[in-house]
Amino acid sequence: MAEQVYFEDIEVGAEIPQLKKNCSTQQLVLWAAGSGDFYQIHYDKDFAQKTGLPGLIVHGALKNAFLGQLLHDWAGENGQVRKFGCAYRGMDDPNQDILCRGVVTKKYQESGKNLVELDVWTEKPDGKKTSPGTALVALPSKS
Amino acid sequence: MAEEFQITDEMRAQIGKESEPWTYEVTTTSVRMYARGIGSDNPIHYDVDLAKAQGFRSIVAPAGYIGTPVFVPGTNDPTFGFPRRSGGARLNVPTKGLLDGGTETEYFDVICAGDVLEETSHLADIKTRDGAMGKMVFVTNESVYKNKDTGKVVAKQKLTSIHF
Repeated sequence: MAEQVYFEDIEVGAEIPQLKKNCSTQQLVLWAAGSGDFYQIHYDKDFAQKTGLPGLIVHGALKNAFLGQLLHDWAGENGQVRKFGCAYRGMDDPNQDILCRGVVTKKYQESGKNLVELDVWTEKPDGKKTSPGTALVALPSKS
Repeated sequence: MAEEFQITDEMRAQIGKESEPWTYEVTTTSVRMYARGIGSDNPIHYDVDLAKAQGFRSIVAPAGYIGTPVFVPGTNDPTFGFPRRSGGARLNVPTKGLLDGGTETEYFDVICAGDVLEETSHLADIKTRDGAMGKMVFVTNESVYKNKDTGKVVAKQKLTSIHF
């Protein structure tokens, strides 16, 4: 894992390290098992097309969890993800890159905690944001 | 179908009405399965000894994972796994199409394998919006998760569904 990031090192406007995903259909089945969501539109192409979709789609909640991973791995061993979420505005396909990104929008101290707010989102290869959201992360201080 | 739908005072009165509690389990196996589901290779989700050496009770649940509802055949939904229980709001929203609208999770403590959580759910918000597909109804439910041993609220999660 990456080195611990500290509150003092963070600047508003800075982007955190990106996380690139690309879901095979096997990954979608692994997610179904992990999350308990066995909705067929994510692994049964005939079922998905009968509901009017062009084909299989990536679970919205999986993209949300990707953003959770982006934040958790960035915050490191001594940081904590306090709050995060996103809206599902666009669909993503299997076997296509999903880029998970975050930009710091605010940093402040409150009740002895060093807090950082971020805009987070997932992005398709053409740059379209499919899951825009926000996050609040507590980071350790060097002092 | 949602075109004629109107939010009534009766519906608004159901906001905040709590469901019966349900047990959610966080186990070493379920944490590892969820971590595999997101494609994470962070050992904090897999290696119990490493997690303990870092001061955690056991492997740490990935962000977004707040346990798996105990499954009772005939009671839990066979596709989505959530419990169909009594109490809570009962809305009759006409649905031709249903979309997952979004997720928001707030943490008050770290969740680790071995934790047993008690979850209650309530209707947090209902609103309508005119969109490309006509009138859409946004229903937001909020779940509150308490650690059964300590009684402390460890997380809250809001899920929004879009009916159109």
